Amino acid sequence: MKQESLIKIENVWKKYDMGSEEPLVVLKEINLDIKSQEFIAITGPSGSGKSTMVNIVGALDKPSWGSVCLNNQNISEMSESSLAFLRGKTIGFIFQQFNLLPNLTALQNVMLPMEISDEPEYIAKKRAKELLESLGLGERLNHKPNQLSGGQQQRVAIARALSNDPQVILADEPTGNLDSTTGKFVMDFLGRLHSQGKTIILITHDIELVKYAKRIIHIKDGRIEKETTNTKWRN
Amino acid sequence: MKFKKCFQLALNIFIHSKLRSWLTIIGIVIGIAAVVSIISISLGAQQQLEERLGSLGADVLTVTKGMQRAMGGGFGGGEGGPGEGRGSSISSTTESKNLTARDVTVIKATPNVKLVMGQISGTADIAYSGKTVKDAKVNGVDISIWKDITTDTIDSGRFLTKGDSYSVVIGKNVAGTVFGKEVSLNNKILIAGKSFNVVGILEEGSSYYIPIDIARAILEDVGEKDFNSISVKIADVDISNQTVSDITKKLMLSRGILQEKNKDFTVSNPEAMQETMKETMSTMTLFLGAIAAISLIVGAIGIANTMFTSVLEKTKEIGIMKAIGTRNIDIMIIFLLNSGLIGLIGGIGGVILGIIASSSINSLAGTSSGMARGMFSSSAVNIQLIVGALLFSMIIGMIAGAIPAYRASKLNPVDALRYE
Ligand SMILES: Nc1ncnc2c1ncn2[C@@H]1O[C@H](COP(=O)(O)OP(=O)(O)OP(=O)(O)O)[C@@H](O)[C@H]1O
Ligand SMILES: [Mg+2]
Repeated sequence: MKQESLIKIENVWKKYDMGSEEPLVVLKEINLDIKSQEFIAITGPSGSGKSTMVNIVGALDKPSWGSVCLNNQNISEMSESSLAFLRGKTIGFIFQQFNLLPNLTALQNVMLPMEISDEPEYIAKKRAKELLESLGLGERLNHKPNQLSGGQQQRVAIARALSNDPQVILADEPTGNLDSTTGKFVMDFLGRLHSQGKTIILITHDIELVKYAKRIIHIKDGRIEKETTNTKWRN
Repeated sequence: MKFKKCFQLALNIFIHSKLRSWLTIIGIVIGIAAVVSIISISLGAQQQLEERLGSLGADVLTVTKGMQRAMGGGFGGGEGGPGEGRGSSISSTTESKNLTARDVTVIKATPNVKLVMGQISGTADIAYSGKTVKDAKVNGVDISIWKDITTDTIDSGRFLTKGDSYSVVIGKNVAGTVFGKEVSLNNKILIAGKSFNVVGILEEGSSYYIPIDIARAILEDVGEKDFNSISVKIADVDISNQTVSDITKKLMLSRGILQEKNKDFTVSNPEAMQETMKETMSTMTLFLGAIAAISLIVGAIGIANTMFTSVLEKTKEIGIMKAIGTRNIDIMIIFLLNSGLIGLIGGIGGVILGIIASSSINSLAGTSSGMARGMFSSSAVNIQLIVGALLFSMIIGMIAGAIPAYRASKLNPVDALRYE
């Protein structure tokens, strides 16, 4: 079955100007086609450019060269406010550092993306509660991030990423700061989201976690070194 | 993002702000307090000034002997009638001829002059119900003209009129307080040992008015024919300055004075005086206001500083906000509201402190005497001033926060997220 590509990365380069020194090229000639409802893992050594690539896909960063299309729209040609809209509605980020807003409660953190996209408060509240409850945090709605364990914080972050029901979940080492049990919970949850139809892009250098994905992209020194397919994939 | 949400987030930042923000707020509190108290005190002083000068009557000029060297000190207006009130601002430094009946005639012949009245004042001991006031100032007025030219108003009884001889009109303060016992109409008071019937009480002041012939007969230190002052009622107030210079020229001529600098009399124009006083007042207000404005600017710089630090501290949070879909403009609005809020809270504190400050200055002035009492015993804190101060402080906060807020909005999401 030939599917429309959801994300199409063509000849993307990213370089940082380092003043007098040689510019630092961290992504080189990246080409990648991601179909809707795929589960992709991106792996590679530290500093190889994984986060940089995913940030570009998630419209948090811009490529120095090349184009990134999301739903056939070129990200580099979009206005700032449409990019913001894209980040809020189409993409859900899950970070290694959780990145919750420290002065908001769990509930408020999850409600925020919905409120940013002008969802009525009562709807946002209802959905945020449901999400947090489905992640086992029904008792922690009014806790601030610093009153939550790492695993709980990451679950709040997942709920937040899901709040606007995005097409794509970008997870940059979501289990990096969690113990193996909580890490497994998070990974299983991502697997469940995938089976519900979400496209998932996971960065990890944990070989154990790679098995959740069907396609595995290996990055080294800013280049896609190889792509493998998970033969033992559950489907 | 809805404005309401932006505001909630700005409020959230404010509520969780550090001690530093509160210190910044103190800066604004002081600045706004200074502005509010200065404006309210000078507004109050201006009102007082207008009331007092207004009671002089703009259509009555006063001619006194001596050369007036400087303006100022003319706040005794409420105290006496024409002669006394305006005369008090004049210092007779040059040896000068008294004002005479001839001067009165000369003034009468000046265009735009409606009525002219010569007046004398001298001192006498006054007694009532066993109590004596020594060396009180008593005015002798022309009973046929006085009621038409005076700027005082009658509280009870009547003005002096033709046929009055040993009759007296007294100011309200005399009637009320001076003798320990209230003086009423038709009571008798002793002036220089002579018994006078009280026929009228003026609405204010503490002066005594008696017919001029009687005054010449009983008062010490008054001449036989001369006057201490001449009141001139003019027809058209709009050309009062012209009339003043006409009178001056004529009098100089008739008194044989050739040069302006040798002038031995003064024609005072309440209108002009009022203008001068007002100008002085507004210069003073401007000066004090400038000082207050400087303290506000210092406060605003404090806000800007705090906002820069705050944006820096919140870099990561700004990155997070952007990652979940916040537009640059919303980030900007949130931080602008935040700094506006700092300004506004400072403004509220400043208004409260300013009102306290100005009212304590009022009560200080109230217990003091003279000019300070006259001018600073009432401040005018009105709703416009309060609302204006609050708006102003909020706008100052926003202006001070504008650049930091702009910076926050322009942060690159990835860099912001990576910031620790
Ligand atoms: N703002 C920047 N300026 C200069 N160099 C940068 C900047 N951001 C990232 N880099 C460089 O880009 C390279 C790739 O970084 P990236 O964060 O994508 O690595 P990564 O593969 O995610 O590594 P890790 O597994 O450790 O997270 C690194 O060498 C890093 O030093
Ligand atoms: Mg990384």
